[in-house]
Amino acid sequence: MRDRRMILFGLVRGAAAIAVALAVGAIFIFLSSKEPFTALRYLLIGPFLSFHGGEIAFNTQNFYQVLAAMIPTIFTGLAVCVMFSANQFNLAAEGCVLVGAFTGSLVGIYVNMVTGLHAVVCVLIAAAVCGLIMLIPSLLKVKLGASEMVTSLMLNFVLLYVVLHFLNYHFADRSKGATMTFPFLESSKIPSLVPGNSKLTWGFVIALIVAVVVWFFMYRTRWGYAIRMIGINESFSLYSGMNVGGTIVLSSVFGGVLAGMGGSIEVLGRFNTFQWRELPGYGWTGITIAILAKNNPAAVPLAAFFLAYLNKGCQLMATHSDVPSEMIDIIQATIFLFFAAEQFMSGFRQKLVVKTTREELKKMESVNVLEEESGHASTTV
Amino acid sequence: MLQQLYESIFRADFLFAIIRITAPILFAALAAVIAEKAGVVNIGLEGMMMISALFGFLIAYWTQSWAIGVLGAMLIGILLGLMMGFFSFKLKTNIILSGIAVNMLGAGGTIFLLHMFTGLRGNTGALVSPNILIPTIDIPLINKIPILGEMLSGHAILTYLAFILVVVIRVFLYKTPLGLKMRAVGENPSAASSVGVSVLKMKYIAIAMSGALAGFGGAFMSMYYSQGWNQGMVAGRGFIALAAQAMGRGEPVGAMFSSLLFGLAQAMKTKVSGLRGIASYNYLIEMIPYVVTIIGLVVYAISIKRRARRHQLKPVKE
Amino acid sequence: MEEQELVVRMEKISKVYPNGIAANRDVDFSVKKGEIHALIGENGAGKSTLMKILFGLEQPTDGNIYLNGEKVTLASPLVAISKGIGMVHQHFMLVPSLTVAENIVLGMAPKKSGIFIDNKEAVRLTREYSEKYNLHVDPDARVADIAVGMKQKVEILKALVRGARVLILDEPTAVLTTQETGELFQELKNLKEKGFTIIFISHKLKEIKELTDRITIMRSGLSVGVYETDSISEQEISRLMVGRDVVLKVSKTESVPAETVLTVNDLHYINEWDKKTLNGVSFAVRSGEIVGIAGVEGNGQRELVDILFGLKLPASGDARVSGQSLIGLPQARIRHLGVSYVPEDRMTFGVAQTASIQENVISDRYSRKEFNNGPLFNMKSLHKESDKLIVDYAVLCKSRSQEVGMLSGGNIQKVVVAREFSSDPILIIADQPTRGIDVGATELIRKRLVELARAGCAVLLVSADLNEVMELSDSLIVMYNGRIAGYFDDGKWDDVMMGEYMLGLKSQSDEEIRRACHA
Repeated sequence: MRDRRMILFGLVRGAAAIAVALAVGAIFIFLSSKEPFTALRYLLIGPFLSFHGGEIAFNTQNFYQVLAAMIPTIFTGLAVCVMFSANQFNLAAEGCVLVGAFTGSLVGIYVNMVTGLHAVVCVLIAAAVCGLIMLIPSLLKVKLGASEMVTSLMLNFVLLYVVLHFLNYHFADRSKGATMTFPFLESSKIPSLVPGNSKLTWGFVIALIVAVVVWFFMYRTRWGYAIRMIGINESFSLYSGMNVGGTIVLSSVFGGVLAGMGGSIEVLGRFNTFQWRELPGYGWTGITIAILAKNNPAAVPLAAFFLAYLNKGCQLMATHSDVPSEMIDIIQATIFLFFAAEQFMSGFRQKLVVKTTREELKKMESVNVLEEESGHASTTV
Repeated sequence: MLQQLYESIFRADFLFAIIRITAPILFAALAAVIAEKAGVVNIGLEGMMMISALFGFLIAYWTQSWAIGVLGAMLIGILLGLMMGFFSFKLKTNIILSGIAVNMLGAGGTIFLLHMFTGLRGNTGALVSPNILIPTIDIPLINKIPILGEMLSGHAILTYLAFILVVVIRVFLYKTPLGLKMRAVGENPSAASSVGVSVLKMKYIAIAMSGALAGFGGAFMSMYYSQGWNQGMVAGRGFIALAAQAMGRGEPVGAMFSSLLFGLAQAMKTKVSGLRGIASYNYLIEMIPYVVTIIGLVVYAISIKRRARRHQLKPVKE
Repeated sequence: MEEQELVVRMEKISKVYPNGIAANRDVDFSVKKGEIHALIGENGAGKSTLMKILFGLEQPTDGNIYLNGEKVTLASPLVAISKGIGMVHQHFMLVPSLTVAENIVLGMAPKKSGIFIDNKEAVRLTREYSEKYNLHVDPDARVADIAVGMKQKVEILKALVRGARVLILDEPTAVLTTQETGELFQELKNLKEKGFTIIFISHKLKEIKELTDRITIMRSGLSVGVYETDSISEQEISRLMVGRDVVLKVSKTESVPAETVLTVNDLHYINEWDKKTLNGVSFAVRSGEIVGIAGVEGNGQRELVDILFGLKLPASGDARVSGQSLIGLPQARIRHLGVSYVPEDRMTFGVAQTASIQENVISDRYSRKEFNNGPLFNMKSLHKESDKLIVDYAVLCKSRSQEVGMLSGGNIQKVVVAREFSSDPILIIADQPTRGIDVGATELIRKRLVELARAGCAVLLVSADLNEVMELSDSLIVMYNGRIAGYFDDGKWDDVMMGEYMLGLKSQSDEEIRRACHA
């Protein structure tokens, strides 16, 4: 009963955090907008429903775009889940997305292969490269105890400048006005899943499959188990005979692999050339997603969907009203803060625990009496 | 080619540029130093700078006074610090996560707030006027000295403040009772509380001061460096500051030198882009400080590890 | 006894912790002005709790405290400090990077020009007190760089500078060398002459006899008597201290020890304060027997166990299981040799609190073939294993997926023991296996230990609970001061005798001790 109540409490708490955030958003909209109701309407239901003079219809294209936007963030969300599960505040998923996208692009441009296989090879090579990159912060942590947070943060910038260097001076298509690579070979592109221009590609299906795979990895394999136990209690894991250092490295490398896949699938599905000139931000979104999903890979697509939906709502709101789309960051930050706050609604939780404990004690009283009697029976003075 | 580089680097205007570029990083690095001394990791510096930069500028515009703008930026920084403190110390959000949340607010929230207050999108170029920018000052006497004068004189008031604050903060941390208590809390909270020092209060004060310093950094960016607020303005300086703090071993003076290193690298990058031959290394040059930071952390970690190991395997003494 | 003569009078103090443990029961405790008063008792006897109450760290559930005849409420250490009480904690409350003077004035630093620390004044103050009370320290040295004995002086000075007239010293000699101890005693006697009152917590009878005027002896949360130090013999103190109350009887058959499983050979360990905490310990444990290690905590047991399970490296010496050295092996390899370990600190090492019972019981065996199908877990066999263990060890829970942290202390320990006892070990190291848990769980765990030993397992039982070691052990090692003080294999031991060895009043000859090696 206690467990069920706690799950319920978790849901209520999450809903409350979202409600607070939306309320904060609404307050800002009312403060800033001349047409707050239009803005709110687009924010909340715009992504799926479109309005044409009173006619309300399901908007398939918008829906597809929301799903398409989930592709990179599912990957980074999963990457962060895996790393945070081992209690590693490794923030290099951000840099890995960029490197993954760049490496995938290069393979997509310069290597000739048959359609189908080509894209797979692009993604796998990108994943491998990013996995290797993650060896840097994780080995420094495990072997030397250097804070993975600071090294990974620095690594993001190093990766950015390395990519910019090679993009600008080695792989740029000089015939174009802006800095970009030559176009991807058709064989390397991730095919569209649905007709239209929504950019909803097979990458989405792959992302969902990977989420399932990562869930199985985390909850149904010995390696995922070790990662989670180390995250909960490192001393316990060490004492139980687990290879703590190796597992931490594994979790980071796996995180890098996932981020690298996400980056390459995103560029090969959405664009024709590589032209990112700054860190894409998907790594940070991945952190929000992991927090919302409570590090559970199965909940990652849901959290990614929620954020993609909010994002689309904000974009529509910006197009159709006078409220800028960046509103999303305020809502997102608020949700994030309350979701991650262990003590948020702790008073309520405490009451629940006390109530449940009382009930359990009552139930167990009879059992206890029996136990104590048997205890006394064997006690001699 | 190297001749060319040599000539363009050993010039007063280049040295001037280093100091100018270093100042905002230094503010943020000092913010990181002071938080870290009390045992608080402030990863939200980037966002704090963005937000205070925006409000500093807006307040200066509304009041038509740069000084009030700077004060406003500082206050906003303090408020953000206290907010992070509230979530992390009271509601127990992991401090790294509440920092990330502040960065989110800084990234997009500022654009929204700018629009909400002014109707402008993305930057405040339209509002800039000379009287709301931080004035520069010529230092008498020094400005007469060749090279040195060109290098040191004519900076913005806040630039001088940044370097003065290095000394002030060092003195604060090491020579005042409050600084002493703060360091004690960061190093051994139970020792501090056993003599009646409130750990919570010290942490709140530290993160508020950290916010105030980030606020100065933000004001410097929008009211002097970029001459107006724009969305890509802080560009990772908050994170660089964390690196400068780490590389400077958490000390104000050390943080100043590592900030100068970052300043040098950025100034070099701008210079080098204009030179034939080595222009194509500008990104790699810009990368140097981050690599140096990682190496610095590694060296530091190794030295700590060595000490521990020497300890573990001590020969038997009878 | 005149009322005003008593600086401290604690009357009928009771303390019940939220988890239901009654640490103090109607304890009366009083200290005369200007005396050195010893507070003595086994671990868990309640002396630390009593002193925490006096220093304002804990609030009594019941009872009154009088200081100099005046009734007081000590709501926090700050209040206690302001009333003239100072405490020197066993683990120093010092900030390593600060100087001695800075540590001493922390929180009350003298100022100059209103804002700056008057460092000269701080140093002067430190010098003044240090000279006045003969506690010589270097005010400008960084605390990180000074020796332990020096750190202790800093702690004492910290209390004195804050106006303490009553000093509580919690096992101050535990970390000191012999010379340092001698120095400390001189200083304390000196302070006594100057009119200070000292409460001295210790296990070491010789020190108490040498130093103190009166003794309060505690046992199981009760005060069992107050004596003039001169009027009571060491034997009597030890009898009062370890006298047994309730003993859980475990029926056990005669042991038939077979081959040697664990051999420990001349282990030495030097701790981070350069103190030698293990000094040439050698013994052996054979299959089929329970070897108990008795001793007051802090006499080397912790280090011994940590070395045996790979958590510490010895300065020299060796430990072997079935001929294979354990030194420097990772835990996985140690477990692979058939060693199981019930850790003392079960919340840190024993369990992952927010993980399920199943996840906790499989932590040492999850990678075995029988629980895996290729890359995936074989959930069926994992469920079967955990359900079996839950039943076997009577873990009171709703299901295997319940969070371990939600269980009671006794049931948490059953989870730990279920895992450690069920891995077919050839050697079990059980460190305080029943500390702080209920009677039912205690009985179950003890019974299982005996069963396992009789089935051929070698058991090394380390416990501060004298009754437990005396009841369960087939042979018994007493540790004192990092060495083995006595080895007993005849089953004829009693608490008086044990007390004498545990407290260092007696020790056996080297030959007698060597018998523990069975070589």
